[in-house]
Amino acid sequence: MAVFGSHFTGSAMWGTLSAVCGGVFMAILFAEFHLRRPGDPIVVSIAINLIALGLSTYLLRAIFKVSGVFQSHNIDKISLVNIPLLEKIPFLGPFISGQSLLFYISLVLVIFAHFFFKFHQLGLWFRAAGENKLALEASGVNSKKIQFLALILCGVLCGLGGAQLSISNVGLFVENMSAGRGWIAVVIVLVTAGRALPLLGLVFLFGSVDSVALRIQGLGLPQQFTEMMPYLASLIALIFVCYRKLKFETNTQGKRNV
Amino acid sequence: MKAELHEVSVKFGPFCAVNNVSLSFLPGEIHALVGENGAGKSTAMSVLFGLNNDYEGKILINDTHKNWCSPADAISAGIGMVHQHFMLQETMSVLENVILCSEPLSKFGFVNFNLATINVQSLISKYDLKIDLTQKISHLSVGQRQAVEILKLLYRNSQLLILDEPTAVLTPSEKHALFLTLSNFKLSQKSIILITHKIDEVMMIADRVSVMRDGKLISSKLLQHTSKDAIQENIIGGKLPKPIKRKKHNPRNIGLELQRIVIPGIATRNEPVSLQVRLGEIVGIAGVSGNGQAPLVEAIIGLRNTISGNIILNDRYITGKEVWERRQLGLTYVPEDRQRVGLALDASVCENACISQIDNQEFSNGFILKLGNIGRFTKKLINNFDIRVESASAKVRTMSGGNKQKLVVARELNQKKPVVIVENPTWGVDIGAINKIHKELIVMRDAGHAILLVSNELEEIMGLSDHIHVMSDGQLSKPLKSAEVTVKKLGDLMLTQNENHPSQKSRN
Amino acid sequence: MKYKISSLLTAPILLIFVFVFLLWLADANIFESIVAFFKGAFGGRNFAYLLVTVSRAALITGMALAALIAFRAGLFNIGGEGQLVIGGLASAFVAISLPFGGAVGILLVILSGMTAAALWAVVSGAMKLWLGVPILVGSLLLNYPARYIASYFVNHPLRDVSSGMSQTHLIEKSLWLPLLPTTRLDIGFIFILLMFGLVLFYCYRTVGGYKAKMTGLSIDFANASGLQTKKITLKTLALSGSIAGLVGAIAVLGLHHRFTDGMLVQPLYAWTGIVAALMVSLIPWAILPAGFFFAAIHSGASGMERTADVPKEIAIIIQGLIILFVASKVPTAFEQDTGENK
Repeated sequence: MAVFGSHFTGSAMWGTLSAVCGGVFMAILFAEFHLRRPGDPIVVSIAINLIALGLSTYLLRAIFKVSGVFQSHNIDKISLVNIPLLEKIPFLGPFISGQSLLFYISLVLVIFAHFFFKFHQLGLWFRAAGENKLALEASGVNSKKIQFLALILCGVLCGLGGAQLSISNVGLFVENMSAGRGWIAVVIVLVTAGRALPLLGLVFLFGSVDSVALRIQGLGLPQQFTEMMPYLASLIALIFVCYRKLKFETNTQGKRNV
Repeated sequence: MKAELHEVSVKFGPFCAVNNVSLSFLPGEIHALVGENGAGKSTAMSVLFGLNNDYEGKILINDTHKNWCSPADAISAGIGMVHQHFMLQETMSVLENVILCSEPLSKFGFVNFNLATINVQSLISKYDLKIDLTQKISHLSVGQRQAVEILKLLYRNSQLLILDEPTAVLTPSEKHALFLTLSNFKLSQKSIILITHKIDEVMMIADRVSVMRDGKLISSKLLQHTSKDAIQENIIGGKLPKPIKRKKHNPRNIGLELQRIVIPGIATRNEPVSLQVRLGEIVGIAGVSGNGQAPLVEAIIGLRNTISGNIILNDRYITGKEVWERRQLGLTYVPEDRQRVGLALDASVCENACISQIDNQEFSNGFILKLGNIGRFTKKLINNFDIRVESASAKVRTMSGGNKQKLVVARELNQKKPVVIVENPTWGVDIGAINKIHKELIVMRDAGHAILLVSNELEEIMGLSDHIHVMSDGQLSKPLKSAEVTVKKLGDLMLTQNENHPSQKSRN
Repeated sequence: MKYKISSLLTAPILLIFVFVFLLWLADANIFESIVAFFKGAFGGRNFAYLLVTVSRAALITGMALAALIAFRAGLFNIGGEGQLVIGGLASAFVAISLPFGGAVGILLVILSGMTAAALWAVVSGAMKLWLGVPILVGSLLLNYPARYIASYFVNHPLRDVSSGMSQTHLIEKSLWLPLLPTTRLDIGFIFILLMFGLVLFYCYRTVGGYKAKMTGLSIDFANASGLQTKKITLKTLALSGSIAGLVGAIAVLGLHHRFTDGMLVQPLYAWTGIVAALMVSLIPWAILPAGFFFAAIHSGASGMERTADVPKEIAIIIQGLIILFVASKVPTAFEQDTGENK
């Protein structure tokens, strides 16, 4: 979406906006079939993944008559921002300055999310809807509305992620270019149990595994292994967390058989 | 605040769950609503609370006609409900739970937690509750959780409080605390509705008693105008069943023995538990739910590991053995939760009936099922236990609670294993099924089986057992001869042990 | 269950609307495309395209069976893709290095594919049992290593450098699955039909199938009743994986005669199989028509691409939409409420 928007309008801002619209559209689709109709969330999400994959490739081929990679001079990349003060931070400075605007937005968003979930009314309701819907409804709040709102926000953020991926990093679109990063994000949220600040740390860890993998490739390791690394890393993180939980349960409750 | 249900009826399809019921609830009055499971008490209350909007009749609040669209309307009109299964957010703090959905806000929709703390704290001191606002719900005992639920209602300034089976999970001392709180509410002119099936509590605290049966209101009287026996007969709709005849207590060898086993997660302290059940007797374990009975049973069955100690079944050590090995060595088990553990609801009656014997020659040759034999066997069970079900191939989900439980009991007792573990066998079951199940247990005992009965219902324990233990905070009392036991004595045992160890309990 | 007529009609109408809109986007002649769709799915000279559909349906049905077996036991193995790839890779590897061909060779290749895929599937079971990783996430994450391992092998040790593509050498002709007389359809689909029969038998008549079903309906019930759920978990996953491996082997021996990078991932066999199984809410016999249905959509889309110049990805979109509508009508195995007021 971002690529289309950016291509047609020649502006990064409109590109990003259209990416957000695309994300929200998918979120509404999800809401329609999971919240309004009794669709199973896992089935619905698989279906939506399929549609997104098919739609992006299809539109690419139908409108631009190219397959695989789409590149165009019209695509306006999101400009990089140099924040003078940040540059001067020792050690970290060179890493965090000179990133795209979206990078800073996401940083601020994480910190905002931390406070949002802790202190904001809506954040409290989001948590309640996730944990015990019935209890929220017993207090007189329509949990479906809350979930819908959360889904829309989710769509917005996913759209931003897509924009960062396409028109900020590289300025082109490759079929299936997200390559399961969404799933990794899901694992990260599972591992951190939805707490915003640990999440930030883990995200950076995964980001660095990703880029370290890229560097190692230069050292002669086959590309397939380096590309596999983020997935292995998330698998290992997952095993670590699950195993600790399992250990805890067997020790404190003597649970057998899972 | 005065609230009324006027000629209310609720229908689920052809079934009339509430049939033309009129009730009025007055301020400063504790109104007990009693009746069997499925009598329509909870359904009637869900109408009053706005959870069920598909009804005929009227709701009157202070003599004006009201229509709720959702519980939110009822809440804002001053009605509050404590559900039998608490509606709390486990990972949130007490404060967050209390103010959820009526948060005091500061700028940009952020919650003003300072103001909230002050408000809630003043309520706590006014009604003399004992709650720490910063604790997470998952760290609280059942009694404390209930206090949080009540605090939620107070915070919303409820004038009419509906409590659904509030004492089912409380120890006697927690129950006393609850009743004190309720008396305080009464003084401040709140009206209280107590849904319960325990008549003793009604006699202790209620001002007015209404009895429901089969969706109809049978009677609604001031407590002093009625009697315990009258209430009881109204509930059942007839005379009390005759006590079941049984043979003289004639115990033989030890069928099941626990030698100082230590069970993880049983309570806050891991005290060793010892127990003996002889062939030809019923040993009862009394106690309020959540005091370690479930972990104890799981440890005996093999669903939970033990830290130390021995479990002996028919002179064989079974500690550390898997469930199927224990079952082969002579053990059957009627679990408390028939919905999840006792049955597979979406499987047929046949499939549920033969689950633990499927490897027998009768039902399979080790690879292929003998469907004919399975069908015949199931029909036999259905006939012998008088299970009401469409057919042997119907899904278990379609059966009523009592018939489901009869199926579980039939399956387990029919195996004729020497040791039978029975956990709350009559929870949520109608009187007819209760009698049938009790009779079968006595028959098993008389035939020389060892039966361990775990139950929260004192009357059931006292009516069936030869020996009784009391379990409280993971500890088992010495065995008492049931002939020498009174309700008061058992209650005291639960109480004293609890006062010695005023620690938290949780059952997960 | 009662549906209103209007709600029954909305889904098809909406589907047609989206379909037409997509065609319009691609500047295609709508009538021509639809004819091409049906020709592509069921027509062709000597029904050549129908046979392609059948061969595709075999693979999808196979993957649906693999999903079904695991789902029925409550094991949400969505790692079918990884198992398929590993199975395909292993059979390609064995097929290339096998010194002899013929029926014995073919059998050996298939068995090795099945074994490898079963082992890969069991990994997610082991992670569940001893490390506590949920099957759903564990099996999903194992897809990616499988994909990259296969990619590595066909790019490096097993690569047919002369072909210039990321693929293995062609396997010996004697190991190719024979074709049905006078057609270009290989006998792979017969293996799948056989497997379908076996799975039906397993589900309805065997002790193993019964125990797996009970475990899937309620694991607590199975445990308390003395079923050996750990053993059942591993056995079921191995079965599920081996079916995926069979599909991989058939694709290698019958369809492609070599292993090409992405040849099992790109057509979305595994995911289509999963949704086919879910769409029929895990009713075993309904798997066969569901598999055929999805295969027809894909073949039809290929037909449209050939003659009407409509990108074949339209199939994926339509498939996704169908799943959405069906999923919102049929409660699936993932939902388990207990009824009764508890």
